[in-house]
Amino acid sequence: MEEILKLENIYVGNEELKILRNINFSVKRNEIVSIVGESGCGKSMTLRTIIKLLPKNLKILNGDIIFEGIRIKDLKEKEMNKIRGEKIGMIFQEPSSYLNPLFTIGNQIEEAVRGNFKREKRKEKVIKILKEMELSPNVYYQYPHQLSGGMQQRAMIAMALINNPSLLLADEPTTALDVTTAFGIINLLKNLVSEHNLSILFVTHDISLANYISDRIIVMYAGIIVENGKAKEIYENPLHPYTRKLIECLPEKYKKGERIKTIEGEVPSFKNLPPGCPFFQRCDFKMKICEERIPGEINFENRILRCFKYGNTLES
Amino acid sequence: MRNILYRLKRRNFISFVSFWIIVLLYLLAIFADFIAPYPFNKQFRDYPLCPPTKIHFFDKDKKFYLRPFVYEYKLVNPALNKYEVLTEKICPVYFFVKGERRKIFGLFYSDRYLFGTKEGKIFIFGTDIHGRDIFSRILYGARISLSIGIIGVSISFFLGFLIGGISGYFGGKVDNIIMRIVEIFMMFPSFYLMLSLRAAFPINLSSFQVYLLIVVILSLIGWAGLARIIRGMVLSIKEEEYVLASKALGIPTFKIIFKHIIPNTFSYSITAITLSIPGYILGESTLSLLGLGIQEPYPSWGNMLSVCIGNLRILSTAPWMLIPGFFIFLTIISFNFLGDGLRDVLDPKNW
Repeated sequence: MEEILKLENIYVGNEELKILRNINFSVKRNEIVSIVGESGCGKSMTLRTIIKLLPKNLKILNGDIIFEGIRIKDLKEKEMNKIRGEKIGMIFQEPSSYLNPLFTIGNQIEEAVRGNFKREKRKEKVIKILKEMELSPNVYYQYPHQLSGGMQQRAMIAMALINNPSLLLADEPTTALDVTTAFGIINLLKNLVSEHNLSILFVTHDISLANYISDRIIVMYAGIIVENGKAKEIYENPLHPYTRKLIECLPEKYKKGERIKTIEGEVPSFKNLPPGCPFFQRCDFKMKICEERIPGEINFENRILRCFKYGNTLES
Repeated sequence: MRNILYRLKRRNFISFVSFWIIVLLYLLAIFADFIAPYPFNKQFRDYPLCPPTKIHFFDKDKKFYLRPFVYEYKLVNPALNKYEVLTEKICPVYFFVKGERRKIFGLFYSDRYLFGTKEGKIFIFGTDIHGRDIFSRILYGARISLSIGIIGVSISFFLGFLIGGISGYFGGKVDNIIMRIVEIFMMFPSFYLMLSLRAAFPINLSSFQVYLLIVVILSLIGWAGLARIIRGMVLSIKEEEYVLASKALGIPTFKIIFKHIIPNTFSYSITAITLSIPGYILGESTLSLLGLGIQEPYPSWGNMLSVCIGNLRILSTAPWMLIPGFFIFLTIISFNFLGDGLRDVLDPKNW
């Protein structure tokens, strides 16, 4: 399968902070890739790097983003605007605050429609996609506050997919929803992949959700990718100590009455990252080298890992 | 709209009343051609400073008439402007009375007015020193005084939204430069700025040119403070998530500013608009009062008052000359109450 998105040696940050360090991964056509990690690991920043909507004080320092053969890192804002919404769609965590409260859903989705269509044609298009999202055509005339969270998220997805983009960036789309609604949204996304010829880059905290939805999982920690491989393999046989701990924390692994483990400590802040492996302080397998050097990427059992436990490559 | 009015009525009755007063004043101004009994420049040389005509239902013999009537007035002492009421002759007041042919809305001629007399004169607010009917002049003056507020506010709000929106959205250098320019405008005391701007233009312009000039001067003064407030609001709204979402949809910058950001400032700016209209009305009145605004014979509420400046004799013998001032007061206080009420009603936190 062809790769539609490829990130090569991406560094993001400014003079003081490095938010993302040496990010390498790719997304293939019709593939769902999940990025997993705790809060503050740079997952959302990775998505915002791809669509080039980073906060003002952060810049892409190094590396290349290749989307459908175009190097989008060097594109001007005007050319980038053609890709946003038309080729890459994005949905967000809190649908209620990502919809403008002053306009109806129909109005907002119609605004996103590209190309010269007559009014009736646009409306037809919007109602068609609303139906596809399992929403009633009535939603067209409703304001965001009149919808429930799940309906709002469906409307957001409709807005992101109205131009049939080839890549959908999903930034924790189900975190703000309750479990049953979230399940509906997840299944909807899964079905959309084949129907719309779509690839999804899905960011979540929940590694079991990532296992359910995606083909591949990328585990991030403090701005670096620590493990990248097939979803099933990672979920069943995690190698990196951080991934192991993440899976150990899942409630479904415990019997009733047992105490659920947590990961001791917290993610180091970007302002004072340790010189060595960022996971060093919380790791059960720490060695002396971990404190001093950052592990490089190694291929191990069909996946990419960054850990000295599995090989002695150094980060250049 | 009906919903807003309903909430206004329930929440803040004074502002509800003010709304209807403003509507009434604007209707009077629009239909001045039809309502005013006399043209604004018609001089009745026999009636200088004639007091307001009283409208009677009973004659001197206490006989009741269903149709209201007035008595004729006669100037008995031209030096002191003393009038005598001639109670012998009854002049009934007619509605839709036939009078002088006059152009209505500048479109067609008509000779019917809302009310008037066939014999005698009816000056319900009295006359000025040239014998012109003050009531008619107030109606025609309302056209100028009330429209200056609306036009001035629309120009300065247009500038304020455009400049404030750009400044707030782009931030950085653009913001810095624009805000320094705004500060230069805000630095001058607005009254002196107004006077010096007016002085920069020749004094003998046609009345329409003067009108346009005043509107432009007032809005040039007014936009700066507004641009600053809009900039502040845009600064905070541009960080809202739906702005990020529309950026992610690839919507062009200017569309984001004018469709997603500016409308979200409306709950504030509608209030600000109603609260700043009085400033324009007062500004025009001040200029006209000083003789720099609308020139005679064209009436505006300001220049009708200007006759009274430094003329105590007129003030003591003909206090009805101050009625235009009452209209200024009424308009401004109504706008202020309306703005106040709208602030309560449009704020979603109060629903």
